[in-house]
Order: sequence, then C-alpha cells, then structure tokens
Amino acid sequence: MDMTSPLPSPLTTHVLNTGMGVPGAGMALSLHRLDPVTSAWSLITAGTTNDDGRCPGLITRECFTPGVYKIRFESGQYWEGLGETCFYPYIEIVFNITDAAQKFHVPLLLSRFSYSTYRGS
Amino acid sequence: MTSLKDSSPLTTHVLNTGDGLPAARMALSLHRLDPQLVLWSLITVGTTDSDGRCPGLISREAFTPGLYKMRFETGQYWESLGQTCFHPYVEVVFSITESDQRYHLPLLFSRYSYSTYKGS
Repeated sequence: MDMTSPLPSPLTTHVLNTGMGVPGAGMALSLHRLDPVTSAWSLITAGTTNDDGRCPGLITRECFTPGVYKIRFESGQYWEGLGETCFYPYIEIVFNITDAAQKFHVPLLLSRFSYSTYRGS
Repeated sequence: MTSLKDSSPLTTHVLNTGDGLPAARMALSLHRLDPQLVLWSLITVGTTDSDGRCPGLISREAFTPGLYKMRFETGQYWESLGQTCFHPYVEVVFSITESDQRYHLPLLFSRYSYSTYKGS
C-alpha cells in the first residue's frame, strides 16, 4: 500500500469530446465555491485535463464542505486549440453539495454545438 | 405555413426529461455581455408557458453579434414541484457571430442532469 499518495478528490470530472469521439485532453478548467455571505465566487483549484480528459486532485476531503460550487471549463480555448470555433466560449456548471461525505462525479460531454452534464459516480 | 407567434430570432424550449413533460412556469432570463464593461446586461426576463417555451425573448433589431447568456432557474422549478435539484440554476453562455440567423437553444434537464445544443 502506497502511504505517500494523497487521498483521491471527493469531486471528480471527466471531459469527453463527443464531436470527435475522444477524451477532452488539455482543457483548462477551474473549481470555485460560492461564499454564502458575500455571494462571491472563490477559486479553489485551477487545472488542465490529462490525456484521458480527467483532472485529479480537484479538492481535498477536508476542504469539501457543503455549499454551492461551480466548475468552469474553457471550451472556447479548447476548440480554438483544435483549429475550430465553438458555440460556447466557456461552460460553467453550478451544483449544490449538501452531503459532502459522498463522492461526486461531474462529467462534461461536449461538441462544438452541444454539451451535457450529469451527476455521476 | 410560417408561425407568426414568435418572431424572436432566439428561441428556447425547456423539457423536463425526468418527468417526460415540458417545463412549464420556469423562470428564465436573457443577458448580453457588454464587451467594454465586461458586465452582463439583462435583456429579457420571462417564464416558460405550458409548452416549455418563452416567445419574444429578443427583437431582431436588438439581436446584435456578441456574447449572450440564458439563465434558467432550475432550482426554483424543482422546488415548486417539491423536489431538490443538483443544479440550482443553469447558465448557458453562447457566442452569436451571425445575428441574421435564427438560433434555438433548448434545455433538456432532470433533477441531476441537463443538456443543451444549438438547434433550429
């Protein structure tokens, strides 16, 4: 058992490029939490998806408290990097965490002119 | 025969895929990004009808190229049905380059998922 690897994030994402049938690799994204008092968004993590379209280490179990979060995906930049335009310059998915003891998977399935998301496992 | 009911060049259709129904009486709003101020300006506030549609979102004259955002009050909608929802609201930000076209932006959603696409 590897005692040095960090515990996995209780919140994960997976970006899939459904237009091309490939993982959405190299997409910049960021995780934010809404401050309920100020109604301002605080940046928690900024990262880039790996070759599999995933971005490990979004948040630690300790930091993952109940509240409203948002993941912002830089879809416009992503498609521009592939030499294409995109209808959505960026995509923000806002979601509500009530039971932070669970694991939450928030994938993004994306093409140039469509996207979908769901609460997965 | 062309329908004259909605002359807006931008339309939406909200469908509750969890229950297999149009999403009636959902509050929504359309905003445009002011490129100089980098602020969102409210253009229209509305509520979907019994078919999940909201005619008259914007006039052809006001529909200029730019960045727009449609905000759907999904949390309120499910709350009115006595349910919780994973997404307290949905904001779809999109880029209009050719404003002489018609754009249809549906939202298909359930309590734990949603999807949208550029339709016709």
